[in-house]
Parts: sequence; C-alpha cells; structure tokens
Amino acid sequence: MGKLIFNYENCTGCRACELACSFHKEGVFAPSKSRIKIVRIDEEGLDIPIGCEQCDNAPCITACPTRALSRNSETNAIVLNPDFCIGCKQCMVICPFGAIHYNEKSKIFYKCDLCDGKPECVKWCVTGGIEYYDGIEEFPRRKSADRIQQFILNLPKSTRSIDTGGKKE
Amino acid sequence: MTFDYGGYAGKTLRIDLTKNKITKETQSKQRVEKYIGGRGADAKILFDELKPNINPLHSDNILCISTGPVTGLLGPTTGRVNVATKSPLTDIYGNSNAGSDWGSELKYAGYDNIIIKGKAAKPVYLWIDDEHVELKDAAHLWGEGLFETTLILQEEHRGYDTKVAAIGPAAEKGVLFCSIIFNMWDAAGRTGTGTVMASKNLKAITVSGSGELKVADPERYLEIVQDGWLGILNDPGFRTGEHQALGTAICVNWGNAQGWLPTRNFRESTFEGADSISGEEFRDKYSTRSSPIPGGRACMSCPNRCKRFGRIESGKYAGTRGSIEYEGIAAFGSKCGVSDLEAVFHAYTLSNDYGMDCVSCGNTIATFMELAEEGIIENTDKLGLRFGNADAMVEMVHRIANKRGKLGNLGALGAYKAALKIGKDAVDYTTSIKGIDTIACDPRVAKGFGFTYAISSRGSDHLRTHVVFEMIKMPPEIGKELFGSEKACDLMSYDGKVNMVLWHENLAAITDSIGSCRFMHASYYAQYPIPELLGKLRKKKEVNSIKYYDWISAATGMKIDYKKLLEIGARIVNIERALNTQFGIRRKDDRLPKRFSEPIPKGPGKGQRFPKKQLEKMLDEYYTSRGWDLKTGLLKKSELIRLDMKDVFDELKKNNLVK
Repeated sequence: MGKLIFNYENCTGCRACELACSFHKEGVFAPSKSRIKIVRIDEEGLDIPIGCEQCDNAPCITACPTRALSRNSETNAIVLNPDFCIGCKQCMVICPFGAIHYNEKSKIFYKCDLCDGKPECVKWCVTGGIEYYDGIEEFPRRKSADRIQQFILNLPKSTRSIDTGGKKE
Repeated sequence: MTFDYGGYAGKTLRIDLTKNKITKETQSKQRVEKYIGGRGADAKILFDELKPNINPLHSDNILCISTGPVTGLLGPTTGRVNVATKSPLTDIYGNSNAGSDWGSELKYAGYDNIIIKGKAAKPVYLWIDDEHVELKDAAHLWGEGLFETTLILQEEHRGYDTKVAAIGPAAEKGVLFCSIIFNMWDAAGRTGTGTVMASKNLKAITVSGSGELKVADPERYLEIVQDGWLGILNDPGFRTGEHQALGTAICVNWGNAQGWLPTRNFRESTFEGADSISGEEFRDKYSTRSSPIPGGRACMSCPNRCKRFGRIESGKYAGTRGSIEYEGIAAFGSKCGVSDLEAVFHAYTLSNDYGMDCVSCGNTIATFMELAEEGIIENTDKLGLRFGNADAMVEMVHRIANKRGKLGNLGALGAYKAALKIGKDAVDYTTSIKGIDTIACDPRVAKGFGFTYAISSRGSDHLRTHVVFEMIKMPPEIGKELFGSEKACDLMSYDGKVNMVLWHENLAAITDSIGSCRFMHASYYAQYPIPELLGKLRKKKEVNSIKYYDWISAATGMKIDYKKLLEIGARIVNIERALNTQFGIRRKDDRLPKRFSEPIPKGPGKGQRFPKKQLEKMLDEYYTSRGWDLKTGLLKKSELIRLDMKDVFDELKKNNLVK
C-alpha cells in the first residue's frame, strides 16, 4: 500500500519534483503537465506540495460518472483511464486537496499514479519535502507527533498562549 | 519544435511602449550560437540596438530581460533571469541578475527574452499569459509598495501561478539605484534597472505559462543533469550543511573571522557586533520554520536554498518579515556600524518594499554617516547621522526613497554622484568603482575579489567572477594546476590571482548566459574540472560534476566542448567591454578607490592594502591575457577577429574605438 507523504515544512519550493514528473511522464519540462504541484506562497515564505493522497474512500472515484478512475491494487494508486474520461471535471472539483491537475490548453487531466511504486518526484526531492512509503503502516506515529509539535511551536506566540488566568508571558 | 535548437522557448517578445506595440519574433539563431542567451545575448542586443550617448532615463534606452537555454529545465540552480540596460546610476553598461521562478515561467509561456523600448503615455503593466500579451492600465498600482503591487497583481490574475516582476515607489520617484524585484524577494538589484523600468512608465510584468520545453537529447540530458545535482550535493562545501542552515548570512561570521567584513564604510574590516547580526542570530530568533531547513527557500530547481525567511513578532519593528541575505545585512549592519539585527532587518525590508537596491542604499547611508562624522556634510537637524545610530539609518531609508530633504535628495543619487555634488574631498570617502558602490567584502584582504572589483564590467562587483576559491580551503595543488601558483589558494596573496580571475570570469559569463547560478562553479566548485582534480587528489574513483559544455550541448543540440566554452565566455566579456568602450570606459576607469590603498587598522587583515602599483601590474597581465590594448584598455582587432566578432570590430572602427 504505497503513499506519498508531503512535508510542507521541508519543502523549499524548488519545483524540481514538478519538472521531474512532467519529464518522466511526458518527456517535456512543463509544470502544467505535472501530477504534483508546489504552491509557493511568497508573502509568507511558505511552499506547499500538493499531490494525490490516494484516499481509501476516494471522493474522486465516487464522483466519476464513467468509472474512469479506479484503484490499482498493486500500488494503491488511483489511476485515470483517459479512454473513459469525458472531461466533466467532477473529480477535480470534489478533490479536497486540489490534487487532480487539469491542463486547460491540452484539455487533459494529470493524475498521480505513483509511477508504479517508484515515484520520480521523490528521487529528485533533496530536502525530504516529499517521501514515499511503500507500506503506509510503517509510517511512524512518532513522526506525525513530531510534525504536529513542530507546527505548534512555530505558531506566533499570541495564538499559542492559553488564557489560564495565571501569569502570562 | 519551432526553433532549431532545443532548450530555448524560441521566441523573443518586443515591446514598444511608445507605440503600444507588441511583436513576437523568432529567436535569433546566430545570436544564441555566439552568445548563448541571458547576459551574453542581452549585451549583444544593447550593442546592436542602443544609441550609446543617450541619457539612461530617456525613452530610447532599452531594457532587456532574458533567460538562458537551460532555465527551467531541471538542471541544478536554473532559476536565474538576467536584466540589462544602460545604467542611470553609473551611465555605463548596467546589468543585474535575479533568482526565483519568474524566468522559467516566462519560458513556459513561450518566450526566451523581452526587449522593451520607448515610454508609455501613462502607467502600464505587461500581462503575459501564454500567447496572450497585453499592456494594461496600472493607474491603481502606481505609487503602491512593491509587496502590495505583487499581491494585487496575483489576485487579479492567476493567484500564486502568476509570477510578478515589479518596481517600487522609489523607482517611480527616480532614485537612481532601484531594482526590479521578482516574486517579492528576488531582486535584479544592482545598477538601477528598476529606475529605467519606471522611466518607461512600466510598473510590472506578470507571467503565467502553461507551455512545455523540449531538449535536443533527452536521455543524455537527464544523465548530465543528475550528474550536476550530485556534483553539488557531494561538494565538500555543500556537505558541511552550513550554507543550507544559514543561507548567505553565514558570511557575516565567516567574513568577520577572515577579516573581510566591511565595517563603518570600510574604515575597518572586522565588526565587534558581528555576532548579533549573524546568520545564527537570525535563525534562532526570527526564522519562521525550524529545522532541518530554518525558513530556507530555493529558486527553481536548486538544492541550495539561500533565502532565509523570517519575521519579527514583537517590539518596535513587529510585523517586519521577509527573505534576508548577507549583502543586505552587511550593508545596513556592519557598514553602518549597526549591531541591532531588528533595525537591520527592518531597513532591509523597507528598502525592498520601496524597490531599492539594499546594497547601494546601505552603502550610501554608511558613506553619509562617515561624511557627517568628518564634518563634510552638515548634521543640522535632529537626525543624528553617525555610525551605529540605527534610528537614523531607518529614517534615512525613508528619506532617500521619498527624496525628502537635502540628504534624501542627495542619497537618491547614490554615494558616488552624491559625493561629486557635495564636492570638497567627499569622493575620497566613497568606495565606488565606475560609479557603483562596493559590495560587502573588503578587497584589501581578499585580493582576487579586489582585482575583480577593478575590472568588472558593471563597476565594483564580485559576481563577475566570485572567486570564493581563495576563501575556502582548497588544496594548493589545484591552485597550481589551474592558475599556475599554489598561493592562489591564499586569501591575501596576489600570486595566480589574475589567472584565477580570468578563468572565473569566463565561466561566470557562461553561467549568467545559460540561466544558472554562480553557486555552480564558485562558492561550491561542482564545475569541471575542479571535482575531477579534487577526486584525483583524494583518490576517489567516481566523481560527479557539472560540465557546462555537455549540458548546453545536450539541451540545445549545439556542439560545444570545454575549449569552445571558455571561448564563448571570453566573447561575452569582450562584447561587454565593447559596450563599455562606447560608454567611455578606458584603462583609467579600471581602478580601486583611494580607501583601498590605505592599510586596514586592525583584525586578521591588519596592515593589508591594495596598492595602486600592484593593481597596475595585475592590469598589465590581465590586459595581455585578454588581448586588450595595454595603454588605453581598448579592444584590439586581432582578438576580436579571433573570437569571431568582426561585426563588433566594424562597428567600433566607425568611431575609432578599437586598436
């Protein structure tokens, strides 16, 4: 059961993953044809990788009226069959992560298929912004806890302190 | 492929603002064969199309914005974009380079470069959305700060997918050293390119592109690019991890320890307050993200992540946020004698929001501080301009940006032109070369840097060569092998430095022209042949390195080898010299200011100076190697013909500007 993990706090926004993806899949360098997307929020200095989470109860599969989306049992990836796709964009609209990418110009959807278990984007990510877990059950709980802790510690002080009626900072 | 060579987007965008006319033409094949793109191609365009004697702020001035053949093609550090024009600050060749992902976006939209001429009747901005290119009204943006302008334009177009290059209000007011700033934090900072853009009534250029780029030999290309990434990742300097942790701000403590951190307008070269304005301090107190990469952000396809993002949460300057780099910290910090990092960070961010070059801005303030202390300019009002006064420094940023008061108006001219206007011996207190302020490295200690300042085509500047080679602990054998002297690795030695500058200068010209970053061949030495030489010394079997010649060949389909690569580099250096010759630059201008012939009073560099006699000796050696006329510094026919630049020779010959 493979899955990509997106660690926004490690992402530097270099977008090598986008280019690696489009080159691996389409043979060209074009972020508009990449399955993964880095949203660069310049004013806050944040870079957030957006890609398919391969949800168990996937809204995109449910929403697709022509069953163009289905799960590959070997890799756990939800894959798109372009022959069945009618371009209604329901999957794109319903995806809570914005992970299904539509290219306006070529009228084609780009959907992550985990590169048959060897995701190209992960190979090019030198900071650990994207990681791949072959068995998601291996994903350590501790790591999640670390991330949440880090996130909380990085909040501005005003939102962190809780009013307990006691002495304040 | 629409264009004969891979890698390129294939089209040039020409904008005539006076006539409101936009033309798309096919990229010039001959130009890219000889000058590749980016900095090289821009210099050729200026040489061919610019009338040399115009006022830089006249509508006839040309603003070139260019990418290179490997911009946006996954190679390491390929996010650079080049800007060239005639500089209003120096009145010679003006050129600057910025990072971010704006340049690659321009290529995905289908254009390699933009050539802007004329002047719009009213404020406009250029909107590029793939084939759709339009000049739109910018009345609502005129006068807005740079950050606000960027945000408004992103909101009006495709949000974060719209990349914005903009100028700030200081440029509109005519401050001579304004930048064009890409995506908020990446500035083509130096030589006043933003002021030229403002003089054309052009507030911003927004780009979004959904196209694709192909390379000539995809399989080979991927191998080369992987080799290049590994070359950087395995570089001994990169592997220390120091640069990733602190960004360029690492240079504060490093420079202080080696004795080249300019302090109090280059009076000294060590700063007692270095610790409190250091990269470590910034990481610990202001970084917005904690480990492993504290607030680090990267340009397109770059493993290096120079940019530190931080925020001040409380106190006088609460709310200040942004990316910070060494040059700005040193300009407002040690150069002004200010050890309050919050004030430095604030002045830095203000300077960005106003759209000013923080190096020139900080340096001008530092010069004024010294002039005030020496009693050459009056300190009449309550400003209290003197070294170490942080409040006065922040106030001066506002005054210069708004051209307020006598000092504000003087400051807007930059240190050199201001000093000329002040008269007396004010010029002796500036550290300007060819009219532009010196960056944050004392050339009396770092001799290779010093020599670079003197010969650099855009005036005092280290990035024309970036000879970090002398600062890091390189094995002396490599100095001997490449530059003919083991002492080339010694910071304070003059031996081998001319050869070192020559090699770096040729390669730097290539780096800027293909659209990659200086970290490829200087700072880190991932560029052929240095990793190979290091590998041989350390008896390593496998070495990774980036080979520009292979890289360009696989991307474009041209056939280039190492020898030809250095020849193209030399050609680019020569075309820039040809331009500068037209602007009046001769041997007498390749000089160092008076201050650098005076000894450093204390620190590791105590007693070091860069004597005029030594400089002249080095110039002789440099000119001889370059094939330039020793007496005048003019180009010579033999060298121009050798470099296949007959057209340049013919043009120069018309005005008798060639030997």
